[in-house]
This record gives sequence, structure tokens and C-alpha cells, in this order.
Amino acid sequence: MKYIQNSFLKLTCLALVVIASFNACTSEFDELNTSKTQLASLGKNEYPFLFSKAQTEASYAFWKYQVAQNLFADLYAQYYATTATYFPSDRNVIRMDWMQWHWRPIYTDCMPQLKVLLNETEAGSAENALASIMWVYAFHRLTDYYGPVPYFKAGEALPSIPYDAQDKIYDDFFKRLDAAVKVLATKTAEKPYGSFDLMYGGDVNKWIKFANSLRLRLAVRVSNVDPARAKSEAEAAVASGVMTTTSEDAYMFKTEAGTDVNGLSGISVWNEFRMSASMESVLKGYGDPRIGVFFQPATATGTYEGLRNGLNTTQLGDVKNSNNANSNVGTRWVTGSGSAWARVGTSPQNILHSAEVYFLRAEGALKGWNMGGTAQSLYNSGIEKSMNQWGIADAAAITAYVNSDKKPIAPEDALNSPAVSDTPIKWSSDPAVQKAQIATQKWLALFPDGIEAWADMRRSKLPKLYPVVNSDNADIPSGERPRRIPFIDYEKNTNKDAVDAAVGLLGGPDKATTPLWWDK
Amino acid sequence: MLITTKKGKVGKVSVDVTSGLSMDSPMLLPEVQNTYGQGNGGQSNTTSGGSWGGKSTTYANNIKDFFRTGISLNNSIGITGGTEKTQAYFSFTNNRDQGIISNNNLDRNTFNLRINQKISNKLSADVKATYIKQTIDNKVKVGEESGIVQNLYKIPRSVDLATYANFEDAAGNPTYWTTSSIYTNPYWTLNRTLNTDARDRVTFLAALTYDLTSKIKLVGRASLDKSNDAENRKFFNKTLLFAGPGGTYQEGNGFFREDNFDLFLSGYENLNDDIRVDFTVGTSNNRRDSKYTFINANGLLVPNKFSTDFGKNVSTSSSLSEREYQSVFATASFAYKNFLIVDGSARNDWSSTLPSPYGFFYPSAGASLILSEMTTLPEFLSFAKLRAAWSKVGNDASPYLLQNTFSVGQGGTNGFIAQNSTKAIPDLKPELTTSIEFGADLRMLNGKLGLDVTWYKTNSINQLFFVPLPPASGFSNEYINAGNIQNKGWEIMATWKAVESDDFSYTTSMNFTRNVNDVIELSERTKRVFLGGGYGRTAGPLIEEGGRYGDLWSEGWKRDAQGRYVVDAKGLPIGSGAGNTFVGNFNPDFMLGWRNEFNIKGVTISALIDGRFGGVMVSGTDANLAFDGTASYTEAFREGGLVLDAVNDKGEKNSVSISSEQLWTRVSGGRYSFGEFFTYDATNVRIRELSIGYNFNLPSSLGVKSCRLSMVGRNLLFLYRGKAILDIPGIPQRTMNFDPDIQLGAGNFQGVEYGNLPSTRSVGLNLQLGF
Repeated sequence: MKYIQNSFLKLTCLALVVIASFNACTSEFDELNTSKTQLASLGKNEYPFLFSKAQTEASYAFWKYQVAQNLFADLYAQYYATTATYFPSDRNVIRMDWMQWHWRPIYTDCMPQLKVLLNETEAGSAENALASIMWVYAFHRLTDYYGPVPYFKAGEALPSIPYDAQDKIYDDFFKRLDAAVKVLATKTAEKPYGSFDLMYGGDVNKWIKFANSLRLRLAVRVSNVDPARAKSEAEAAVASGVMTTTSEDAYMFKTEAGTDVNGLSGISVWNEFRMSASMESVLKGYGDPRIGVFFQPATATGTYEGLRNGLNTTQLGDVKNSNNANSNVGTRWVTGSGSAWARVGTSPQNILHSAEVYFLRAEGALKGWNMGGTAQSLYNSGIEKSMNQWGIADAAAITAYVNSDKKPIAPEDALNSPAVSDTPIKWSSDPAVQKAQIATQKWLALFPDGIEAWADMRRSKLPKLYPVVNSDNADIPSGERPRRIPFIDYEKNTNKDAVDAAVGLLGGPDKATTPLWWDK
Repeated sequence: MLITTKKGKVGKVSVDVTSGLSMDSPMLLPEVQNTYGQGNGGQSNTTSGGSWGGKSTTYANNIKDFFRTGISLNNSIGITGGTEKTQAYFSFTNNRDQGIISNNNLDRNTFNLRINQKISNKLSADVKATYIKQTIDNKVKVGEESGIVQNLYKIPRSVDLATYANFEDAAGNPTYWTTSSIYTNPYWTLNRTLNTDARDRVTFLAALTYDLTSKIKLVGRASLDKSNDAENRKFFNKTLLFAGPGGTYQEGNGFFREDNFDLFLSGYENLNDDIRVDFTVGTSNNRRDSKYTFINANGLLVPNKFSTDFGKNVSTSSSLSEREYQSVFATASFAYKNFLIVDGSARNDWSSTLPSPYGFFYPSAGASLILSEMTTLPEFLSFAKLRAAWSKVGNDASPYLLQNTFSVGQGGTNGFIAQNSTKAIPDLKPELTTSIEFGADLRMLNGKLGLDVTWYKTNSINQLFFVPLPPASGFSNEYINAGNIQNKGWEIMATWKAVESDDFSYTTSMNFTRNVNDVIELSERTKRVFLGGGYGRTAGPLIEEGGRYGDLWSEGWKRDAQGRYVVDAKGLPIGSGAGNTFVGNFNPDFMLGWRNEFNIKGVTISALIDGRFGGVMVSGTDANLAFDGTASYTEAFREGGLVLDAVNDKGEKNSVSISSEQLWTRVSGGRYSFGEFFTYDATNVRIRELSIGYNFNLPSSLGVKSCRLSMVGRNLLFLYRGKAILDIPGIPQRTMNFDPDIQLGAGNFQGVEYGNLPSTRSVGLNLQLGF
């Protein structure tokens, strides 16, 4: 027994020694468990990289562009119609699992970077002002899909992030843009973020015009529901200076590096959509030179052809509705023919253009706002700027176009559709027609920004487009159009209390047919 | 892979040679219709993607003909020999396996060397080394988007596969029967998307044992497991989705290393005549490092010149993981009179992946009692043993979860930096599983009848879940330690040696296992968690309190308040929304195996039939076959006339007649579907293995000591396959047309099949020779 006691004693000693030595061994654990491929903290030098990231995510790159924009807003705006049989969204079906990619990039890829910049850069600095403007740009495209969204508490470490009413959010947009422009007016010599600024390379004067133009867009958006605020915001924006030439237009830099290619370009090689019959009816009817920039001739016919929105799989089996018989987007985005296309992924993405600004001013002038011109002259300038923007510089041709009585024509599609509308190009004396003319030309000028085009259509109820042929969404009967996107399932799974409360802010059921606050 | 190495033997040199040949072919292919051809709406059309056209000439074998019979060879030789002091064993194995896709091959060479050396009376050494060199050509990508099986199954019934064997046109574009952004000619995928995975792996172990006394020894052990992986992926110019201009070339290089150092004392002592104690006390240190670098040449300057040097846009990324794990442990086991054993253990581990103080402790205890030794039992009971055990086991997590970080990415003018969308868990806790187990091992009728029964229950707490967050928080996901997940089950094995004689013996055995899982608790805040996987496309796993691990949710057929199916004004099913319908659990209710072994004058015949009962599987492949009008069950109601037994949204009985094309293209969009329609009861019974073997007694003059020839068939045929969970009146009841053993995902994401390779039936011949 004595021997056993001895050996047990020895073992205990050994164990103690071992434990003691091990405790010392953990001294390197923290360093070992610190990632060598990531950053745990940020400094000033890293901020410009964050700004670049926020910019690209706000406007959706590559495949996110498809699920966030192209399969929904772009179709609602009827820039294109779906040729792929496996996508039901052209028949008004709102796929919640795709829609999360409209929501998540803004909150998890764009907003956190802006939040860092807004918190960490000096208040009153140009960098801070640019972050604030991008914030408005990102969030206006978000709220205009759903209505109430998490806004004032976004980015806070809360288990549930409350939604805010859209009027409160718009109020903050106006305040932010006003404040940012005031700051930037004193910083015109600076180059905030320099080459990291993917829109203007840090050109403060252009940023001022961008912010004012965005403010004008938002002012017109609320003009039905809050006309007084709309007027004052719009007039303040114009007075402070909005975009007036195409050299001030906003584009997003795009690259083949990473997955940062031009979204429209990246997805146009997949043969899933083609020109819509609405686009064909208007562009062909007007003899519009932009048709050859926006689209290219169909492989099978050598002519520009479009198809109706909302076709079912059987109708899509009709050769006339096939990819080869309809027009893909223009060579700015893709080159090729048949089913073999190559992307032009580095084409800058269209963000906000002077042409749109002229149409916003034209509509303001119709409302009697001081927009620095008559509705007619601003309308004509808008057409001219849009033509210029797309490389059409022949002044005589533009003048002839502006003075043309041409109207949309029947597209001679598979369903023998009539002309989409009878709105002529030449400025009418009838105020009702004038509104339709501004809306139609703005719709053309906004191409390919379907998110803005759909928002503007919902507000103005113009231009007149074809009804969707089949609606597979019981919530949207034939003849009606979606007025919003219902709150997404991803949010209901993760932020349920906040979503339930947000329904109360909607002024209607959580359905696609409930109009947003500004859609009256 | 398990590497076991034989030890050398004292005595003269002996040699073992084993040779095997096996042939693999698809066991089960989808059942397709062979009446209607390419087209839509009953109209034939040679550019359509589906087979919804008119009646047409079809090619019954245009799927089957794509596959080959894979022939596999494996040969090995083992040499052993030694003296009293030194024994050595050497072996070499070569495997050459062909897959059922024509360019999918595996080549593996394994070298083993083991030497045992007695250095002195008290000191001995055991050293072994293994080297494995393996190359896999063209591992088959499952799922879709360049998935070869899915591309093949998309072929319309009236398309001759042979036409598309010529897979490119004069301009180098893939030839295809339609246009698609996702699918392409399977022969293009076969010949124009190539990959190689090469692995070099070395394992090395050295152990020194020093006998302190005759009963106590000190063992020191060091081992190393190191592997290098070199992968390349070639996407030829014009490959849909994957090739940049000129093509795309990708290179991945993986490096993995694991070191283990153990030091322990072990021994025993007889405390008195009745009690013996065995004990171990020791410590170990484990270090695991892995690194992976990936180079992507997206676009090639010279088309199809597959080298990173030719890349137009070359980007690199890398990952690095380092983890150290330290332990001290002690075990003791007391045996009383050879019929009672009581044991216990205690262990403390420290992991670098946990926050300070890094460590966690877990004990175990158990007892076993051999009743038949303790007391006299009724005569029919020849042996009886009871056992009970209780244990706790702790588990650390992956590295780098404790701190929020920002990562760098390609894009923009100068690159991006962005906050990672996974929120850190600074107070990470180790997972802890408590298990209780009871068992009995009974042998009756002189050992002719045996019964081994085990019941267990485990509860895991602080399990690490990856849960979604409201994106408005700035994060998509976070890790939480949460829950109480319980598993309870039975394992029963019964054996009956029915006949035992020199010329004939027959043994039959049954094996039953059943596990029941319950999610007892998740967390205060989170009551249901999607565990990932694409539920929008087919189905996805979700756990919620009160549910079970493995519950699958999908889009289903909408029911009204009375549980009636709802159709729209066109008479077509309305969906419930992605992920809103529970379709079943991917785990089986129980498994049953039945083995029969005969020995007739030296000929051994063995048959294993096994069954899986319960559980479901959702098939994305089937959803595509339905959408395309390819599946055999889409043949009914082509001309219309199907009125679904359902109500419309006003609660009125449906009377609208639809066609099968309308039905199947409503409930399936191909890649996106109402998964409920494509969910099958995964119950199946199959002949898992059938073998026959004979030991030849060769004259010793040949120098062959032993010779055994055997023939083995595996996965031979199904005796039963489950049915679709939705029985649509009028539509023939659908039988599962895939093997539920083949899964798309792993871990949490099971129960879904999508573009998987069919499982294979294999028939082989083995020869074992001993010299």
C-alpha cells in the first residue's frame, strides 16, 4: 500500500506541474485568436475605402442589381419584359427571398460604412457631408419600395430596430441635404475622399449640384401630399443650384474587379429579359434615336422588337416572344447576338442626370413654382440633355424631334397590342397632355433607372403603359399595378415586433396595393 | 479517411496481396415520359426548354446514355516481418477509380511503414509514417449552374442526346437546344469545364513507452498530420456564368497541419485480491493550422490559356485559421472480482478560440456489471451484462468569433473596406453535452441468441447557433450560445446463430436504431432559427422551440382555415410563400438492418437488407423535371380536364379545369418551386450488400498460404421506395425517383436533393492472397 500511496503522490505532483505549466501556455491565445486577414479597428486612412463601399452598395452591383431592381422595379416601369420562363415576377409575383437582396445590401453593406463615417469624421467636414448625401440617396430608394423602414435607429445595437413613418424619413432627407449643401459651400476647394469617390472623384461643386438635384427629386415626390413643403424645398434646391449640363451628371464607377461590374451589363448576358412592348411602342412611334442606344436589333429580325409584360410560360413559348426575336439592351452594356453575349462590365452606372432635373423643373413650373424657366422650355431642354447624355449631339435632329407630332405606335407584337398611348412629342397646349408629355419623356430619360421610374410612375400615375398580361399574384388583380413591396419575410423572421408595429404606420394593410404616404 | 496500420509480426517474412475490381453504374435514374416532345402549350417547338409540346418521337435513353460504367481497380501488397526486438510492416495500395461521368477519375497511392523497436528492457519505440498521394480529375459539381447532372436532365424528351455530343459551333459557342442563363449543353460542361484536385498527405507518429515499473508506464507521443491541396478549375471561353472573356482559370492552394503532443502515465494496481484499479493521468497539446489561398484569373488574354499569368483580371484571396487546444486529464477504473467495473474521468481543456480564461472542465462516470459472473442465472441465460454511464463533454468553437472586424474587398477605384456582416460574440461559451446511457448485453442458449440493447439521452446546452439578425442592426447574423437540444434513442442488435455445423452454418442478425430529437429550448430572444440553405428553391431546415432538429420548411400549397387546398380563379394552386409550410423532418424515425450469413462448406454468402423508415426528402431535381414536363407523371392531363379538389378564395368548390402544364409550371418554376409538391417520404428498403466468397485450400507446394476469392454487389436494388407526401387526386401517385442517401448539403442542411449524381450500384470481384 505504501508503494501505491507513493505513486499516487507522484502522479498528483506531476498533474499539478502540468496544470501550472499549461496556464502559462495560454498567454499567446489572444494573439492567436486575432484574425490576420481582417481589420479589428479602423483609422482615418481606411475611411475612403468605406465610402467607396457604401456608394457601390447603394446602387447595387452585379447580381444584386437583378434581384433588387431588374426583376421588380425595372419590370414595373416596363423598361423590359421577362423572357425567362422561370421568373414569375413579371406576372406580379413578389418573391420575398429575392427581395431581401434589395433590403440587405442597404442595411448590412452600405449603411454600416456610412454610420462609421457619420460618427467618426468631423461634423461639418466635407467627408461627413458626402456621407450624409449618400445616406439620403441609399435610403430614398429603400423607403420608396416599402414605405416605413427602420431609419432613425438603423445601425444601433438593439434586438429589434423600429420602423419610422415615411413622412418623418422624408423630413430628415430634406434636412440632411440642406445641411450638407451648406457645409459643402464652404469646402469647394477640398477633394473629400479623392479618387475613392466613385461618382465625382471628390469634386465638391458637383456634389452640391447632385445634392440639390436629389432634393428637387424628393420635393416633386411629395408634391401631392405636402404641396407647400414640396414647393419650398424645390425652390430652395433650384436657387442653390441643380445640375444643368450633362457634365454634371452622376455616374457610378464600375470595374471588373471583384463583383463590382455594372449590374445591368452583368445580367444582360443571361437572356432573361428583352425590350418591353411599351418601350417599343413609344421609341418606335417617336422615331426616337435613343432606341439604338438603349437597345440593339433582335438577332432573328434585325429590327427593334419588344414583348409584353406578364406573359405566361405558354405565351413565352411563342417564337415572337423569344429572346432572339426581341431586343437586348444596347452595346453600352452588352455585345453579341443570339444567346452568346459578352458584358461591358466597366460601363459606368447611371445614377442621376441633368435631363431628369429639367423634367422635374418643368413639372414644378406647371405647378406654378419658381423653377427658373417655363415648363415648355424646360421640357425641351430635358429632351436635349437626354439626347446629349446618350451621345446624340445633332442639334438639327434634336430640334426636329422636339417639334415632331409623332405618337406611340402599335408594336406589332405577338398579342397585336395597340399603341401604348397617344401622347405626342411636341409640347401641347393642353395642361393634361403636358403632364403626360413630361412624364413620358422623363420615363425615357430615366432609363435604365427603373427604381426611380417606378416611384415616379406611382406618384404621377403617368405615363400610360400596357396592363400586365397575366397576374399570378392574387393580391394584385389584373389591371392594377403594385404600389409598394410588402414588408419582407426576412424582417418578419428577425424583426417581427417592429414589422407588426410598422403596419400601423402604413395607413392600410401590408399589401402590394396599399399606396405609400406620397402616393396620393 | 481512417488510417489503420498493421503491426509487424515476429517471425518470418509474410506477404499479403489483395486485388479488387468493381464496376459502378447508376442505380436509379428519374422516371421520364416518352410521349410528348419539346414545346409549350401542346405545340411542338424546337427552341423551347421544356417537353410540353405535341406527341413526338422521343429518345427513351437520352439521359441514361450519358453515363458510363465506371471501372475501379484497387491493388495492395503488405509485407511484414521482424525479430524479437524489431518488427516492421510495409504496405502499398493503389486505387484507380472511375466515376460514372466519363472524365471523373480518382488515382490514389498509399504508402505505409511501421516499425516497432525495443530499445532497452524498459524503453520501446513505435514509429509509423503514411504518405498518400491522390489526384481527382473532374470532380462532379452538383446542384445547378454548371452542374452536369442538372444540365443533362433538362434535355427535352424529343432531343437526341447524340446531336449535342458535338458541343460547340464553328465560333466556339456551346450548341444548345434552347437559350438559358443557367443551363447549358451537358457535353459542354463535361468537356469545357475541367478541374483537378491533387492532395499530398503525410502522417507521422512517434511514441516512446517507458516502463516505470511492471505495472506503470510513461508514454510520450508526437504526431503530425500535414496535407497540401492543389486545385485548379478551368472554364473555357464562352462557358455560361463562369467564364470571363477568353475563359477563366482558378487556382486554390490549401495547407493543413495538425500537431499533437501527448504525455501520460498509465498503469494498474491490485488493491487487494478482489479489487484492481487502472488509471491514466496525462496532458495533451493540439495545434491546428490551415491556410487557403485562391487565385482567380477572370478573363484570359489568350483564350483558353489556363495560367494565372494570362489573366485579364487576377484577384487573390486567402484565409488563415490557427487554433491551439490544451488538455489535462485523468481516468480511473475500479474492477471488483471481474464482475463489477466502476470508472470515472475528469478533464480540463483550454482552447485559444474561447475568451479568457479559455478553460472548461468536464467529468464522466460509469459502471458495468456482469450478472452472469456475480450470481447464478437461469440456465437459458448464458451471459448477462448491464452497463450505465453518465458523461459531460465540452466543445470549443471556430477561431475569430470574439471580435467585430472589417474586411477588405476588390472593387471600386482602390478597393473596399466594409464591416463584416457577422456580429461577434465576445462572451462565447463552450458547448456542453450531457449524456446518460444504459445498456444490456444478453446471450442465451449457449450464446446462440444474442441481444444487445442501449438506451441513451443527450442534452446539449450552450450550442453555438448562427442566427439571422434584423439587417437594420448593420449585421446579417450573429452567433449565440443557446438552447437545450435533446436526443433520445435506442440501439438494439439481435443475433441468432441458427445453424452451426462444420458443413453449414447460418447466422442472422437484426439491427435497429431510433433517435428522437427535441428542441426543448432555444433562447429568450430567438424562438426559431433558419439554419441556412436555399429554402426559396426547395426547402430549408429550421429549428424552433418545441420542434425537432431537421424540420424542413418550404413553400407549400395554401390551405384555408378549414385546411382545404386553395386555388385561384384559374383553378391553379396558390402558394403559401417561401418557407412558410412545414413539410417534414429529414431524420428517419428508425433504421433497420437485416444481415444473413451462410457458410456452406467454406463458401460464405452474406446478404444485407437495410431499411430507412420515416423522414422526408425534398427534390429540386424533381421540381425541374416537373417544370420541364419531363417527369413521367406530367403525362396525365396534357389536354386539360384536371379539376383540383380544392376551394377558391371565396371558399367555393373549385370547378375550373386545368392541364398538367398549367399545374406543374405553377407549382414549380424549375429552380424555384413549391417544395411541398416535391417532398417525398424517404422511407426505403434496399439490398445493400450481397457477397459470396470462398477460401481455396491450395497445395502448400504453390507457396500460397491463403487464397480467398469473393464477389460483392453493393446497393443492388430497392425493394420499396416512399411516395410523394402530396397525393394529387387524378395524378398517379408519385414514387421517389432518387436515392435519399444522396444529399445536396451536409451538417444542418440535409434532406434536400438538387442535381446530385445518381447513386451507384456496384458489382466487384476481390482476390486476397497470403504468402
